Amino acid sequence: MQAIFIILGALAVAVGGYRWYAGFIDRKVIQADPHRVTPAKMYMDGVDFMPTSKYVLFGYQFKSIAGAGPVVGAIIALQWGWLPAMLWLFLGVLFIGWVHDYVSGMVAMRSDGLSLGGLSYKLISPRARVILLSFIYFYLLLLAGAFGGVIAGALIKLTSGPVAMLVLALAGVLAGQMIYRWRTNILVTTVVCVALALIGIKLGEMLPTPSILGASVAANKFTWGLFAVIFCYISAILPIWRFALPLNYVAFYIVMFGLVGGIIGILVGLPPVQAPAFTQFTIGIGPLWPIFFVTIACGAISGWHSMVSTCGTCRQLEYETDAKPVLAGSMFVEMLLAVVALMTAAAAMPFSQYKEIMTKGGGAGPVFATGLSNFLNIIGLPLAYGKTMGTVIIIVLALTVMQLVLRFMKVATVELVGDRAPILRSGPVATFVAAALTLFLVQTGWWQYLWILFGGANQLLSSLALLVASAWLLSQGKKATFTLIPMWFMFITTIAALIYTSYNLLSKVLTGQVKAATGQTLLEATVGNGLMGLVALFLVVAAVILLKDGLQALGRYKEHGAAAAAEAK
Amino acid sequence: MTEKKGGFLKAVKEFIYGMAAHDSARFALKTRAQMEHLFILVTMGDLVGVPLLPPYYSLRLLPYVVPQIATWKRRMLREKDLTDALA
Repeated sequence: MQAIFIILGALAVAVGGYRWYAGFIDRKVIQADPHRVTPAKMYMDGVDFMPTSKYVLFGYQFKSIAGAGPVVGAIIALQWGWLPAMLWLFLGVLFIGWVHDYVSGMVAMRSDGLSLGGLSYKLISPRARVILLSFIYFYLLLLAGAFGGVIAGALIKLTSGPVAMLVLALAGVLAGQMIYRWRTNILVTTVVCVALALIGIKLGEMLPTPSILGASVAANKFTWGLFAVIFCYISAILPIWRFALPLNYVAFYIVMFGLVGGIIGILVGLPPVQAPAFTQFTIGIGPLWPIFFVTIACGAISGWHSMVSTCGTCRQLEYETDAKPVLAGSMFVEMLLAVVALMTAAAAMPFSQYKEIMTKGGGAGPVFATGLSNFLNIIGLPLAYGKTMGTVIIIVLALTVMQLVLRFMKVATVELVGDRAPILRSGPVATFVAAALTLFLVQTGWWQYLWILFGGANQLLSSLALLVASAWLLSQGKKATFTLIPMWFMFITTIAALIYTSYNLLSKVLTGQVKAATGQTLLEATVGNGLMGLVALFLVVAAVILLKDGLQALGRYKEHGAAAAAEAK
Repeated sequence: MTEKKGGFLKAVKEFIYGMAAHDSARFALKTRAQMEHLFILVTMGDLVGVPLLPPYYSLRLLPYVVPQIATWKRRMLREKDLTDALA
């Protein structure tokens, strides 16, 4: 089987699904009306509510939703074989993913740009908002921990990465200075800083970290977990224009070079798929159902997208008819990205090499970097340079989201506990708390379990967003079957995955069967397993309470339609 | 054909702008709006129910000040010179 056929299949699913299924729902069910005034036009404050071109929003939405998720998830899921991964990506996005992104955005747009919390308050119950926000806080903590684990694993093994990342960070700082202080022309800034970042990749190759830090420090998980957390802490503390924004701007070009180059490499080299179609039902981290379905999140379905759709994009849509290309379209394109990432593991290396890197070579990050470098080598880029570029790409994809999460957690900590503990009203202190919790998770948790918990929480959030969307549809007298069936599938699957993983973790702790991973002490592994297990249980309880309130709301809307929406308040 | 090509290039340009720089532009706009809204809050916060002292005391003192307003205005806006110091 050639990799190109899988990519062509993905393209066919994306085009067909967008044109027919998404088109049908947009025209016949939601009935998007280009003449209806959107919140962007009605409020038009030039800040949050601002009519924006659909092409700009498409790029903005795609960049906001496509982080390390579609890359890492697809690579981990290859352990079950390429066929289940491909099928879940195709069918997941076709029946659940785009529906979730599109409908949550449309619901927010038709509700004057309310956020997910506001929508749950209005459509389900007042306590639904509190529970949802608490859920989101712990979900983001797991996200930061999971991404931090990916970064730490990558930097231990990909020793050319750290210096390249430092030079990229300097390039970002320089870009901020040039744009905002020196008012340098944007083209000049871009060329200078991107060139600096590309030179930094070469420098990383020439200065591997064991030769600078010493082997024992460079091979230590704590070192790189701390690196990632400090990086994000600085980003969260400094004014956003000084570090985070310009860094993301410069890094965008590196990511585009790498991904576009990799895709061209696949089209030119036509590599065959080397991984088996299916390995076995149960692997080390768990059975196909339910664990596989939470391992691949972004690319098939992801709750993160509903937060982006409701809080940002829907407030900028100029016409209702722009929602389909922006929200649904970007989800289909993300599926394509996930398929390309799957091919970096399935087609760019023998399956035995993939398994070795996953178990002893640092995990999904090095798999991606190695696979991408093989594809880039087809178009002439040296392997070592391509591998460093791949390292920088996967770390940037993870760090971009981690920075945002730490910023959010700073604000959330101040809001939620600032009154009871005045010291936490200080931004640096609140960020330190969030950073310390993240580092604790990275150090004490095994990165694959962290990924599954993050995936479970992420997918559970998506089912809750689908629940809110279903409530809105019923309150408007519309059919909600196309959201309710995915909602139930995701809810049952994710609850099962979280309970399964929590049981595994807690039973090991209680029976003394915890094994420390490389770079961990037994005490750290025991505490980490216990904490992860308890967080998973909390998420399950929160979701069940939300579901109970949600089902009551659905019952009201089925009977009384729009009148019940007023009763929910 | 040329129009279609121009439209396609414009769409690609906007897509890249959306990915690379739109969030930076939104941040700049938000920062400016926050500064402006802070200024309006400080000067006209009573419009949203914030009990700002200057407008509150202005209203309390107004009945006493009204008889003197004309004289006050004349004095504030009158042209002055050094010889006024002799008076």
